[in-house]
Amino acid sequence: MNKEERLIKRYKAEKRFQFYGKAAIFMALLFLVVFLTKIFSTGYTAFQKTWLVIPVNYNADLLYLDPDKKPTTEDINDADFYEFGIETFINLDPDASEDQIMELKKMFAFTFERELKYYLLDNPDSFGKTVDVKLTASDDLDQVFKGNYPRDIPENRRRASDYQLKIFDKLNEDGRVISEFNASFFTNADSREAELAGIASSFMGSLFSILVCLSIAFPVALLAAVYLEEFAPKNRFTDFIEVNINNLAAVPSIVFGLLGLGVLLAVFGLPRSTPLVGGITLSLMTLPTIIIAARASLKAVPPSIREAALAMGASRMQTTMHHTVPLALPGTLSGTIIGLAQALGETAPLILIGMVAFVNTIPGTPMDPAASLPVQIYIWAESAERGFVEKVSACIMVLLFFLIFMNLGAQLIRHKFEKKWN
Amino acid sequence: MNKIEAKNVDVYYGAKQALFDINMDIEANKVTALIGPSGCGKSTFLRCLNRMNDVIDICKVSGVVKINDYDINQKDTDVVRLREKVGMIFQKPNPFPKTIYENISYGPEIHGIAQSKSEMDNIVEESLRKAALWEEVKDRIHEPGTGLSGGQQQRLCIARTISIKPEVILMDEPCSALDPIATAQIEELIDELRKEHTIIIVTHSMSQAARVSQNTGFFHLGKLIEVGSTDKIFKNPTQQQTQDYITGRFG
Repeated sequence: MNKEERLIKRYKAEKRFQFYGKAAIFMALLFLVVFLTKIFSTGYTAFQKTWLVIPVNYNADLLYLDPDKKPTTEDINDADFYEFGIETFINLDPDASEDQIMELKKMFAFTFERELKYYLLDNPDSFGKTVDVKLTASDDLDQVFKGNYPRDIPENRRRASDYQLKIFDKLNEDGRVISEFNASFFTNADSREAELAGIASSFMGSLFSILVCLSIAFPVALLAAVYLEEFAPKNRFTDFIEVNINNLAAVPSIVFGLLGLGVLLAVFGLPRSTPLVGGITLSLMTLPTIIIAARASLKAVPPSIREAALAMGASRMQTTMHHTVPLALPGTLSGTIIGLAQALGETAPLILIGMVAFVNTIPGTPMDPAASLPVQIYIWAESAERGFVEKVSACIMVLLFFLIFMNLGAQLIRHKFEKKWN
Repeated sequence: MNKIEAKNVDVYYGAKQALFDINMDIEANKVTALIGPSGCGKSTFLRCLNRMNDVIDICKVSGVVKINDYDINQKDTDVVRLREKVGMIFQKPNPFPKTIYENISYGPEIHGIAQSKSEMDNIVEESLRKAALWEEVKDRIHEPGTGLSGGQQQRLCIARTISIKPEVILMDEPCSALDPIATAQIEELIDELRKEHTIIIVTHSMSQAARVSQNTGFFHLGKLIEVGSTDKIFKNPTQQQTQDYITGRFG
């Protein structure tokens, strides 16, 4: 082979290498696009909610209220809206049989009593009149309306009966079926009924867990890393600690869950199912990640900066606090965000400390029971109803946005510090 | 008058001995050059004078180093006070990644030298003037010090060191990373600084030693071979090894 041929071969090898690189990037992007497309196409319908607008006659007799007197808030609160609701539904099909009445009732979310009551509380003038009221459709009809349910399969394999579909289609022809932004997905806690289930509880649970995790893991990890890197003598003992930190980072997260269960709940008796315990457990998991990132960033600070400060007569503490730590902070913060993002997506340890419980209240503090976003995904993915399928995807979207938001924040902080120090 | 007296100084890096029984006196307000081939221990000796070797875990120093007749190798010596008196310039310019102003104000700040903002401004200006940098940077002292050229950065480091008025300035090959023009500027500066400070400079360049120093010590393989006035060392050395090194036969 002469020199010319070898040169050509070298150029070819480089071209091939670049092609492999591009192919790899293309593959990764393809997976990402497929994943996101799937999530979005399944999930976007969860942000819409189907309502049935039906005429309601707020008749005093039906509510057992005094027709001549304007009812007070208390009167309305005490009134029975269940029977009233049933009577209202019968108006949709006055010839309905007993069974059909039950089917009519099932076309609406079980919250119809509350919805009818709140409408009257908000519009006291409708007392004694017939008005159009917006009621949440059952998740079966919701899915039918969104086109997620096939209508052409035999009735006994369908959740919505022929009768329900007939009434529904009639309402639809009259323009009485409407689809609006599903605010309750963000404001409601979890529910057994898909049409009512929301992520408020799990979102707040995740938020509190992450805050608890951050406020414990970050200071502890930073102090540990600074001490190990800047002050501790290099001997067998510190080597041993270093090996253990690296091992700790590789421990499966479920082990930390067992630790949380065995120590935090059993020994210290902290409240079960709370973001407090979840956050502490996650902080144990995040700790080694942050320590490793912080130590790497501290190591990357050039020794000449330390020497410069020491030669100026700064003490070791001053050298560390004035120069080394600020220079290592951007890298440490990136590591922290990576650790927190990991913690945010963690399910296994939270299941063990009871954050998998069905929580239908929104936590106000880290001491209240709550779920978390990934656990919520797990709970909904297990549910049989068709309505939860879109919810799972929607919840994943929220989790992804949460993560993107966090990473963006990290980038901004990093950018700000780097500008200052370089 | 002797500013510094080193007696029987031995330095070990772990099991390896780097300096053997160094005895050397350094005169006040003069420039003393330390020359010798790479790895001969001249930088190690320099770092004994402000105890920068403490930073290296495996480094052990024994013997007596007296500055102003005070032994700095005692256990209870306050290294912060010592380094306030003995400043150091490094081989590679190492300004802090902060503004020019902050680079210089750092020393006076941690030692509590300036009482007010205007006093600090004066110290910064005076230090920059003494380091012959003021005219070049006076319009941008609040810009990063790392944005300066190599020679300017080294003069910034000198300004930083003299801001706390040390009695002794140690220089570890201060010009090795600089071009000839910047080197000439630093050398001029060294001659100027000699009036107020005692200077010890480690250098690889024999011509530089000849140009800037009054006294010279020649190190070889961890031993101080010969020390004396620069004139004598370069023109009439008593040791054969010194003669060989000066004339370029090794090193």
